[in-house]
Amino acid sequence: MSDYISRADLLSWLEKVSQSRDLVAPVKIEDLTLFQKVERVEDIVFDPGNTDLSPKEFFFPKSEVLFYVDRSDGRVELVPAEVEQETVIFGIRPCDAKGIAVLDLPYLEEPADALYRQHREKTTLVGLSCVSACPECFCTSMGTTPDDASNVDIMLTEVEEGFIVQVVTEKGKALLPEGLLSSKEVSPPAAPSVASVPSEGIAEKMHQVFDSPYWDRLADRCLHCNVCSYVCPTCYCFDVRDLRSGGRVERVRSWESCQSPGFTKIAGGYDPRAAKGPRLRQRFAHKLLYFVEKFGVTHCVGCGRCVRSCPVNIDIREVIQDVQGLGVKSEA
Amino acid sequence: MNATEQIVAKARELLESGTVECVIGYERATDGVNARPLFVYQAEEAGKLIFDQTCAHNLAKYLLNRKGKATAIVAKPCDVRAVNLLINEHQVERDKVLIIGVVCPGMVETKWGRVSEKLRQACELCREHTPVVYDFLVGEPGDEEAAVEYPDVARMEALSIEERRAFWEEQFSRCIRCYACRQACPGCYCSECFAERLDPLWVGIRIAPSESWIWNTMRAFHLAGRCIGCNQCERVCPMNIPLSLLNRKLEKETLELFGYRAGVDAETPAPFATFRKDEKLEVGE
Amino acid sequence: MKRDNPLLPYLATLDEVVDLTPDVKLFRIELNDPEVRESFDYQPGQFVFVSAFGTGESPFGLTSVGYRKGPLEVAVRRVGTVTGSLHDLEPGAIVGVRGPFGNHFPLDEFKGKDLFIIGGGIGFAPLRPVITSILDHREDYGELTILNGARTPSDLVFAPEFDSWAAAPRTKLELTVDAGDESWTGRVALIPRVVAELGFSPENAIAVICGPPIMIHFTLIELKKLGFADSQIVTTLEGKMKCGLGKCARCNVGEKYICRDGPVFTMEQISQLIEQF
Repeated sequence: MSDYISRADLLSWLEKVSQSRDLVAPVKIEDLTLFQKVERVEDIVFDPGNTDLSPKEFFFPKSEVLFYVDRSDGRVELVPAEVEQETVIFGIRPCDAKGIAVLDLPYLEEPADALYRQHREKTTLVGLSCVSACPECFCTSMGTTPDDASNVDIMLTEVEEGFIVQVVTEKGKALLPEGLLSSKEVSPPAAPSVASVPSEGIAEKMHQVFDSPYWDRLADRCLHCNVCSYVCPTCYCFDVRDLRSGGRVERVRSWESCQSPGFTKIAGGYDPRAAKGPRLRQRFAHKLLYFVEKFGVTHCVGCGRCVRSCPVNIDIREVIQDVQGLGVKSEA
Repeated sequence: MNATEQIVAKARELLESGTVECVIGYERATDGVNARPLFVYQAEEAGKLIFDQTCAHNLAKYLLNRKGKATAIVAKPCDVRAVNLLINEHQVERDKVLIIGVVCPGMVETKWGRVSEKLRQACELCREHTPVVYDFLVGEPGDEEAAVEYPDVARMEALSIEERRAFWEEQFSRCIRCYACRQACPGCYCSECFAERLDPLWVGIRIAPSESWIWNTMRAFHLAGRCIGCNQCERVCPMNIPLSLLNRKLEKETLELFGYRAGVDAETPAPFATFRKDEKLEVGE
Repeated sequence: MKRDNPLLPYLATLDEVVDLTPDVKLFRIELNDPEVRESFDYQPGQFVFVSAFGTGESPFGLTSVGYRKGPLEVAVRRVGTVTGSLHDLEPGAIVGVRGPFGNHFPLDEFKGKDLFIIGGGIGFAPLRPVITSILDHREDYGELTILNGARTPSDLVFAPEFDSWAAAPRTKLELTVDAGDESWTGRVALIPRVVAELGFSPENAIAVICGPPIMIHFTLIELKKLGFADSQIVTTLEGKMKCGLGKCARCNVGEKYICRDGPVFTMEQISQLIEQF
């Protein structure tokens, strides 16, 4: 027997949820599918496949005010931003949920990032397991699975006419009203088979091939845009500047990418990572080497977004494959 | 020989003879159906080169990374105009570039893992199927010379200012300032882009509608009279913003005011790079 | 409150602004909250972010010493927007301070050893608290040689302190410039050449160097010729940074973050980094 909810009951529950909290779910915007605040629950997209941008922006927004400078009454005070709004993210896939667990590692590490922690505390994750796999996905090679419920508060798995419900955390339990779920004799579909990449021992191999000319050759075609970083559920670099807005000074943090020009350029002009090869290598070294050494997991969850979005087909699956092969070839 | 075979043979010959150090062309992407840029340094690797209707990238951008180095480039008519632009603007030396021009059938709409038979909008509107200049030509040159038309721009012009503003507000609200448009554009090569300039500050770091508006419109104006219409910006935009509408509007204005189209040759000075006292524009009067 | 938000600066007041060179100013900064002021402890080599509200914040090595409990001092060269805004401030202005961040010079390991302190241009600034600490506890350390170099005589930082340094026991002060002027009677030579000429002995000694990358590069070559091992050379790395917390991921060199694992490294540690800066 499984806990079960029909599609109709689910939608009316989500409707209720959206009355007291921000309900965020995948919706169609022209040809794109994006996590957005839902206006009508009928707009929620249940189709398989990942959204074009990851839901990381609900924890690490594209831009957010860190504090503003209050200069009233002739004195100066810094007023930090606070996250007040409770949010429910519905329809998050296991790879993206894992992405948030990965973001937790640097951001909740002490001293924790205050705004990130607040976003995290105020948000409940309702996951949707994948019953089919996209051709660009490789989650099972990156420490998660299409039905991994370990990083969400509630997990749903689509079955005929409705969903099997797993209540994973207390936070998830608190979101569900009594009596919403029924028991039903239904078993979950078999998890889809996901293409694999040879990620075993990748950190070690990255170390060995760090100085390989491979990176310069790969960077030949890299445009050094920020697409890969911005569609990525785990990339977390940021920029900080002050902004004068509506007559007051705000300190703003925005997404930034290790690929952007001047990312490492210091005042005075010196840029230690100006060359194309080292710049591109930084992205893969961070994901597959440095992060693994520091936190024990890859800084990639295999969602496949960068694979799909890169304008010149720099494909992390191929890079991993190449790096694994290079270790052998570079000896020759 | 088909286009791919001709390109492979030419690339092999150029590398074997040492005429160039590198041939920039296309190979199959990892999705098995699309193309991606390929840099060939060894004659033995020339066999990877392909050419078909998925080869939509403008490879001229890469010449900026190979200044002073003898390089051959596979170039469609719009790409060749980009090479001309870069020569005209003293970014690239003509004698360092060997143009393998390709008579272009037009590129098709593609997505990751999927190729359609529908021509890209830019290609559908394009009237230039033979490159304006080349050192070696792949395919048979046609003799068509139809007038350039701007039906897409005309549709925008038919809207009221309020409608246009609403349209662009909606479009720019999606911009994530990933700069893929800039990075893919052969005309965007400033060593320090205004978007990164801090002093003076032109546009703040926020990824928000107001900044996106400034970013996209200023970029379009920097390309006025310089855009060669390859439409890379729109092709690479992950948020599907129809940037060609901005560029083509400015292209149309430049054509009407100055009778100028960028990249048609490598010599004619660009209207915004010159000042003539006798020039009298019937605008704003 | 503030303890919960490491990106929120402490408010502070510019006490005094001193012109050190035509483009370097020394800022004496007093933290506004007496409790914060009392608990704000730091070691030579550590840095703070200083905010010019309305422009932003940048990291600066502290040039004062924590044990004296005086105002915080940073030397700022006008190179960009934040430093430009700071230069435009007058005493009494409110600024922000976050920190202290980073590791520090291993002064305990310097004890009993001869020390060769080499700084070029504004790179000399973070070495000043090392010198202050040594001179305040002179008996703990061996011979001290200070080499301060700059482009021109007027670019030498901390000139008002030269006399007291030169007069300190078992201490030599060497000054050098790339180009002299009418009044300059001292040495005109690049720092690496001076290092070679002084012929400092590596025996029971430590060299501490700080300056622009090109100066460090050639000075290292000379120090190695003199017989200094990588473990006897201590330097600081400079990197673009936005947080000081190992989160913005800008200042990493290989697997290390300059803001958290540095900025002070021995050459031995640097040579073991996977990425070369």
